[in-house]
Amino acid sequence: MPLLFEDVSYTREQFHFTADALFEEGVHLVSGKVGSGKSTLAFIASGLVQPGAGAVRHTQIRKSLLSMQFPEYHTTGITLNEEVRSWGLDPDAILSSTRLSGRGEQDITILSRGELKRLHLGCVLSCDADLLILDEPFSALDCREKRAICRKIVERGHGTVIICTHEQTWLPPVDYIWEMRDGTLVSCGRVPAAISRWSLAPRHIKDLVERGLAPGNISPEAVMEATCRTRE
Amino acid sequence: MIELSSVQHGILKIPSLQIPPGSTVIIGPNGSGKTTLLKIIAGIVTPHPGTVLIDGKSPAAVDTGWLNEYPDRNLLFGTVSDEIASPLRFRYDTCPDARTLVDSVARESGISHLLGRRTRDLSGGEKVLVSLATAMVTGPLVLVLDESDSHLDQESTNTLTRMITDSQATYLVWCTQDMEAATCADHVILLQGGMVTRYGTPVEVFTELTGDCLYPLSWRLSKNAPPV
Repeated sequence: MPLLFEDVSYTREQFHFTADALFEEGVHLVSGKVGSGKSTLAFIASGLVQPGAGAVRHTQIRKSLLSMQFPEYHTTGITLNEEVRSWGLDPDAILSSTRLSGRGEQDITILSRGELKRLHLGCVLSCDADLLILDEPFSALDCREKRAICRKIVERGHGTVIICTHEQTWLPPVDYIWEMRDGTLVSCGRVPAAISRWSLAPRHIKDLVERGLAPGNISPEAVMEATCRTRE
Repeated sequence: MIELSSVQHGILKIPSLQIPPGSTVIIGPNGSGKTTLLKIIAGIVTPHPGTVLIDGKSPAAVDTGWLNEYPDRNLLFGTVSDEIASPLRFRYDTCPDARTLVDSVARESGISHLLGRRTRDLSGGEKVLVSLATAMVTGPLVLVLDESDSHLDQESTNTLTRMITDSQATYLVWCTQDMEAATCADHVILLQGGMVTRYGTPVEVFTELTGDCLYPLSWRLSKNAPPV
């Protein structure tokens, strides 16, 4: 289910976005500084923004889904039950899996931001999308929820997932790493080779690479393994 | 000293809590009451029952900078320069004085290039940086930041940390889900189920959490980590 950005460009005022890239099936991590164009990439990939030039092409993608970085942008229901039903999902199942059971008739605006994000991602990850674009999925979540989201991403086991994030610690194992550099999408390649080319890698991963202990992937488990690895 | 006594509000139940000057970070699971506690300290919410005093005064009588966890809820005006200038205009600073302070805080925040931008066109992280500059522009006594780092890259987080460390605020109270950042605070408050379950220096609090995902990963990886 590849997604192809064919000489794509997009301009808004002073900001200029370019991408010429192929997203193969698998999990892709996109990192980039604030304002570098990660959300623009997510919007273009999902078809919500049309590029000024070039084209976005895909095959075998029946359903794509964008999770925007602010969960409040997705909210349409007044209560938690209404919100879950708006996704075509069963409230009891979703509220149970997001540890919000018994709160279905509460006003959705009384949720903390982390709880709202939890509910939103519970809905997103229960939809069977071939292309899943997650813009800052970990923001506002506590470490247990971040780990749970990582597990669910791994358990999907199919399709293409694009994760745009600043998260430094709780990351899932990924197949590819990309960077947005001043509006331009740059490939670091396939993991694990990509890790040593990842200029925006978290400090602890950079330290391991510099010490010749590059991890096999970017998850905390892979990082711990690299740290404790014995050398021949 | 920030003093809370007999506070019960929403999920919060805090019989007594004293927060000394310096940087105090509040950590805890989603829904544990972090935002409620921050709003009470900022004077946005008045607890019933309960008493809150900041250097002996009501929070409403203290100059406080506040940053909401929802980035869009911080922004009122159309352009970045008007947004940052707004607290100065509300207190009737002259336009030249306001402009000088806006330019200064924008320069220190590394966002001078955003001053002419429309706030609605900012990225999530840019909105946070603009809101922080707005919260700091008056040089408040108390700076209260609700997950200000959740939409920032590492470089911007470093900038934010430097800004708030260099600020003139006597009290910096903030919450985060970034435990690496939390280790830099003077004091850590762990909230669970609305109650303060741990309070102390980062070493004192995190040493009790070695079996928990809250324990900073860098401490697990480092030979120089504090003793556990």
